[in-house]
Amino acid sequence: MPPFVNGYIRFVDAVNYRVGRAVMYGIFVMVAILLWSSISKAFFLPSLWTLEAAQFAMVAYYILGGPYSIQLDANVRMDLFYGSWSVRKKAWFDVFTIFFLIFFLGVLLYGAYDSTSYAIQYGERSPSAWRPYMWPIKVVMCIGFSLMLLQAVSELLKDIARIRGEDI
Amino acid sequence: QEPKIRWRLQTYAGPALAEHVVKPAIDSFNRIAGKEMQIELYFADQLVPTGELFRAMQKGTIDAVQSDDDSMASPTEVTVFGGYFPFASRYSLDVPVLFNQYGLNEIWDEEYSKVGVKHLSAGAWDPCHFATKEPIHSLEDLKGKRVFTFPTAGRFMSQFGVVPVQLPWEDIEVAVQTGELDGIAWSGITEDYTVGWADVTNYFLTNNISGAWAGSFFANMDRYNELPDHLKELLKLTMDSSHYYRQWWYWGGEAKLRTDGTKMKLTTIPDKEWAEVEKAARVFWDEVAQESETKARVVKILKEYNEKMEKAGRPYRYT
Amino acid sequence: MSYDLIAFFMFASMMLMLMTGQRVFGAIGAVAAASALALWGTGGSDIPFSSAMKLMNWYPLLTLPMFIFMGYVLSESKIADDLYRMFHVWMGPIHGGLAIGTIGLMVLVSAMNGLSVAGMAIGATIALPELLRRGYDKRMVTGVVQAGSSLGILVPPSVVLVLYAMIARQPVGQLWLAGVVPGLIMAMMFIIYIAVRCRLQPELGPVLPKEERQVSLGEKLRLLRAGVLPVVIFASMMVPFVKGWTSLVESSAIGAMAAFVAAILKRRMNRAVFEASVRQTLAISCMFMWIILAALGFGAVFDGLGAVKAIDNLFTEQLGLNPWMILIMMQLSFLLMGTFLDDTAMLVIVAPLYVPLVAALGFDLIWYGVLYTITTQIAYMTPPFGYNLFLMRAMAPPEISLRDIYSSILPFVCVMLVALSLIMAFPQIALWLPEYVYNR
Ligand SMILES: NC(=[NH2+])NCCC[C@H](N)C(=O)O
Ligand code: NA
Ligand code: NA
Repeated sequence: MPPFVNGYIRFVDAVNYRVGRAVMYGIFVMVAILLWSSISKAFFLPSLWTLEAAQFAMVAYYILGGPYSIQLDANVRMDLFYGSWSVRKKAWFDVFTIFFLIFFLGVLLYGAYDSTSYAIQYGERSPSAWRPYMWPIKVVMCIGFSLMLLQAVSELLKDIARIRGEDI
Repeated sequence: QEPKIRWRLQTYAGPALAEHVVKPAIDSFNRIAGKEMQIELYFADQLVPTGELFRAMQKGTIDAVQSDDDSMASPTEVTVFGGYFPFASRYSLDVPVLFNQYGLNEIWDEEYSKVGVKHLSAGAWDPCHFATKEPIHSLEDLKGKRVFTFPTAGRFMSQFGVVPVQLPWEDIEVAVQTGELDGIAWSGITEDYTVGWADVTNYFLTNNISGAWAGSFFANMDRYNELPDHLKELLKLTMDSSHYYRQWWYWGGEAKLRTDGTKMKLTTIPDKEWAEVEKAARVFWDEVAQESETKARVVKILKEYNEKMEKAGRPYRYT
Repeated sequence: MSYDLIAFFMFASMMLMLMTGQRVFGAIGAVAAASALALWGTGGSDIPFSSAMKLMNWYPLLTLPMFIFMGYVLSESKIADDLYRMFHVWMGPIHGGLAIGTIGLMVLVSAMNGLSVAGMAIGATIALPELLRRGYDKRMVTGVVQAGSSLGILVPPSVVLVLYAMIARQPVGQLWLAGVVPGLIMAMMFIIYIAVRCRLQPELGPVLPKEERQVSLGEKLRLLRAGVLPVVIFASMMVPFVKGWTSLVESSAIGAMAAFVAAILKRRMNRAVFEASVRQTLAISCMFMWIILAALGFGAVFDGLGAVKAIDNLFTEQLGLNPWMILIMMQLSFLLMGTFLDDTAMLVIVAPLYVPLVAALGFDLIWYGVLYTITTQIAYMTPPFGYNLFLMRAMAPPEISLRDIYSSILPFVCVMLVALSLIMAFPQIALWLPEYVYNR
């Protein structure tokens, strides 16, 4: 593969690896928020922001963590046939079907962009009592979907390399 | 056979409630319009989550919406007045009077046209009461209660220690059971019984923070403009029939269930104490009026209207 | 296009895409996005994203990472080892005793996590090698581990029941309680099956040799203490929840914390365990959430295009069946779809179509949740597509072939089908406990 392709793969994988490694500790953020929620409810006035904050944390967790989960090969496939194919045959199929994934991510990103620009333009806030602005979480979602797209392209390139019998 | 025009309308109510408040009207519309046009009805969060509802309609993902301005967070100056603006109205007839005779229609029309949405028609629903697991006898009892309510009502009631919580409508019943909520301040007693909340709460507070909810039908501007005139007319008629149905359904239901209902016990905060809340509402009105010229205009109309009602005496006001 | 055609087209293309072996969420999401762009009209492109917002609002989903984390802490830190030893010593002296003990182990592990993966990992890494070493039949024991671990989603806490609760809009607490008795009955039935089978064919599950059985009574009693830990973890989470002191999601965080603290106190929480639990939790949570995201989009498009009406119509009008027949058809369709489709996707896509129908037919939705969960468990274990099959394949020692795995589940699936019919015939098995506790 041309060097810039290898460069792309290495770069994208490295970025998504780091992002994923960072957000995986988000589980403790969620635990902390929810524990605080139970404590504040038991001993003081229940806090206004905990449930929503935990929801935001969850969204950041799974969307930003998505690319790393692809690297970890955690996303299941229906492996009735796939499971028994050779590495090359798998790569051949993936080279085509990954475009479906890319398409889905593209539509997601388009919708996210649209909704984010709306949120920024109108200063959209959540209708809760806490009333947080919605754009920050939507921006995070846009970033996550973009990273996911980059990762999918990286997977595509790796499959092409596999078909050409190169190692990556 | 395919209808010529097909609309998707999403209401903010769930199926049990929609059965009364919107479905009859949509059914008659469809029966009359036949092959020319069909409106498909979707319930709360069914196609898009309520938070995205306005955007979805503006964009045309959904063609029409039934909601209050507040719940769907429309990006207009009148949003706070939808739903339950504290003590804005005493009876459900106040709402159509305000819209038709006191100029709110014009203001709403202006505001929504700016954002590419057609404000079709406003109507009134039920008064806003608390339904809770624990009994409420005083303002003190409200402190720390996590309650599902409308955004503006929640903002207002938080000064009395109420903790407003926002959840998808369909999840409320379960959230009361799983402990996410201590109560609901979202409707009168008719709805508490109709949607099943009376089964999960035990007490009904007779004091209300508003006498009627104000909500509207809206449509995507382009979709609406594409309709031939006679369908626009039919739409108007059926929306009016929906408003009318609610007038008697709630008015009769509230009294009947308070007196004959067995699932909820009634409690009351003494008038003297509740007057504090009413006083706070006046302050709240003035705060809101400060926020913009349009809001000031609406608040002025509300004040005028309420003064007039007081002057008119019985049956408009008894004290 | 007519509604029927749309329904058919969307399902068929999803099945086709799944067969290519592309990631499940990609396959489902792509069909959703393509149908929305092609058939929705203006604004269809926003549907997939608005599903992401819907997912965010589904607050009970927060329990998912919590229960997954609990499970991984439990299996990675090997705090279940003591439990295993307890059952081993106590049950060793009888025919098939170790296999029976493994079911017991699985029941306790199930009470401490919300999925079956943890039970699977514990069973495959701790119990399986020991059982094989002692001459247990490999088909018998692989089946035991798979069947036993599937209890993880029936005995509370259960992620599958949380997901079902969200879709059916039923209270999680009651659903969880409804799973308890059926879970225990099913465990009992597994045990009876093992006992009878090993009685008839003693070579399948030999008695422990004399030397190994000589454990003093004091030692035996001391081992029972291992059983305290699951009870403590289970109670720390369930008591505040059932009492209404904490909400569901808060309780799940307490459970996650309790498992974590237990691992620290038992001095089993080292860097490697920590790393593996945190990383795996992210991986599995992502797998779930991305599938749910795609499936929610699929569901909304399917609904908005009117295809739901086609399904309703099919069941209620065209087939003209009585309620029980419809119910059985639904269960069968779940089993059928479960051979191809991911269970979460199946739940998110299909349950919204079925649940209102089940309610309209006059069946209890809590009870139906239990039926669904057992059906899912069967789907997990049956080829060609089944999570527990995948996991078993990945974790089983090399002497166990794929054929062994396939044939091992057969008798257990039969037992589960019997349990399923029992609960269908006698709904009170499931409903008694929640009715008792919540005075429904
Ligand atoms: N929808 C899924 N991806 N389910 C995976 C879970 C399956 C697994 N056997 C468990 O219950 O733990
Ligand atoms: Na469990
Ligand atoms: Na299967």
